[in-house]
Amino acid sequence: MLTQIGRSLFLLLNYFGELAQLVVEALRSLFGAPVRWRLAMRQVVEMGARSQLVVLVTGAFTGAVFAAQTFFQFHRFGMDSAVGSVVSVSLFRELGPALSGLMVAGRVGASIAAEIGTMKVTEQVDALRSLGVHPVDYLVTPRVLAMMISMPLLVAECCAFGILASYLVAVPVFGIPEAGYLKNLINWTTGRDVIMSLIKGYFFGIVIVIVACHQGLKAENGAAGVGRAPTEAVVIASLGILGLNFILTFALNIFFPAG
Amino acid sequence: MIETRDLTKSFGSKAVLCGVSLTVQEGQTLVVLGRSGCGKSVVLKHLIGLLKPDSGEVLVDGESITGLPERKLTDVRRKIGMLFQSAALFDSMSVEENLAFPLQEQGIRDMKIINERIAEALEMVDLPGEQKKAPSALSGGMRKRVGLARTIIGKPRCILYDEPTTGLDPVTSDSINHMIRRLQRRLGVTSIVVTHDMKTAFHCADHIAFIHEGRVHFSGTPDEMRASKDKEITDFIEGRSGDTDT
Ligand SMILES: Nc1ncnc2c1ncn2[C@@H]1O[C@H](COP(=O)(O)OP(=O)(O)OP(=O)(O)O)[C@@H](O)[C@H]1O
Ligand SMILES: [Mg+2]
Repeated sequence: MLTQIGRSLFLLLNYFGELAQLVVEALRSLFGAPVRWRLAMRQVVEMGARSQLVVLVTGAFTGAVFAAQTFFQFHRFGMDSAVGSVVSVSLFRELGPALSGLMVAGRVGASIAAEIGTMKVTEQVDALRSLGVHPVDYLVTPRVLAMMISMPLLVAECCAFGILASYLVAVPVFGIPEAGYLKNLINWTTGRDVIMSLIKGYFFGIVIVIVACHQGLKAENGAAGVGRAPTEAVVIASLGILGLNFILTFALNIFFPAG
Repeated sequence: MIETRDLTKSFGSKAVLCGVSLTVQEGQTLVVLGRSGCGKSVVLKHLIGLLKPDSGEVLVDGESITGLPERKLTDVRRKIGMLFQSAALFDSMSVEENLAFPLQEQGIRDMKIINERIAEALEMVDLPGEQKKAPSALSGGMRKRVGLARTIIGKPRCILYDEPTTGLDPVTSDSINHMIRRLQRRLGVTSIVVTHDMKTAFHCADHIAFIHEGRVHFSGTPDEMRASKDKEITDFIEGRSGDTDT
């Protein structure tokens, strides 16, 4: 039992060590090698622009149901007009970044791991190296940059559509007076909330790419190995996002206090 | 130009190389023979640092590359081209983009020069006009030849060929054999050719090394090899397994 816990702990530490190595290598490539902006821009389209639909839909439905539930509770106390601000602050601070992160982890994380994993087992990664190109420079850094650019924007879109959907539920459907609703929404949502959502999105984007690239680059054993890479990438990135979200919520609250 | 000293390498508990020492002189062609699975591809991958030996050393131009970090290997790798056994074409790129890649990495930006070099390289491997195809739309032998074109297009000083003629018809094989010789004669390219094809071996070799059980079992000129009475070698040359039909 104890040895088993010990072994799991060792594997976990080992895994973090490997991720850290990849991060160091990516930083070295970012600051020490010419950055491949064309590849990065292609990835912004591939990973960022193409993820918009799923993120928008997630944001919209979450905003809508969250507004409904908040309304059911607050209505009993006659606090109808507070619904908008509660929804908006929660979306910016928690739900927007976390849910977009999870959705993007599923979509982008899986595709990165599958693509790089296939390149690894078909010796294309070795071919890159044989041509004097560091795989991190070519495969990882452009994707990291692309996600640093895309992810905060995706989170912002997610929150915006969530707030729009919550408005549509609250005002036309439940008949909350528009003026009070909007006044509270704007008064209680601060720039700090928005910044917090963007910072969270930025870090979640990095977690997704690093985890997925790492799974891809260590893929081995042919088709079976390539098959495992995306699944593991999605699971690990999702757990990583939830864990990091917890930490960031408390850490960022020091700099950007709620209210 | 390239030398290995007592390379050993194991994968897990399986010892593949148990002390391989090879030398190839500048401008010469070394052919490496050996049974399937004896570790020929593994040796080649050590020569440009794609694999790290458990012990032993690889020297390129007299300098040890063993222990160099990945980013320091770039200079060595630009000098040495490698044809992979699986061709290892980038399957997200067309033939043309595959061939342009090494040139762009060398800093050549002029599309006119790049296109000329691509056409020339495809001509050399007998695939003129196939620029626009995707690697997935090529036959195995064609992929191999595009891989070969990608290897030679950067004009490396040394080329490592992993089974350049496997899967090709006899006529194309012959033209590849001549190409290997031509590159050596005209441009002074140093080559290491891994092959099972005795015709390629005797056509191209200045020197032959035969790997058996993780070691260099024989090393000498093609004539010395033909004259050898060693059982492993005569069996290999004549393709005898000792099995019978009944
Ligand atoms: N990445 C690897 N992981 C584990 N084992 C490996 C790896 N690469 C090679 N091997 C093992 O090393 C041995 C030699 O492989 P190698 O590919 O060098 O053979 P080869 O001589 O090139 O054979 P062939 O003529 O069939 O290409 C094989 O037994 C193979 O199983
Ligand atoms: Mg081989």
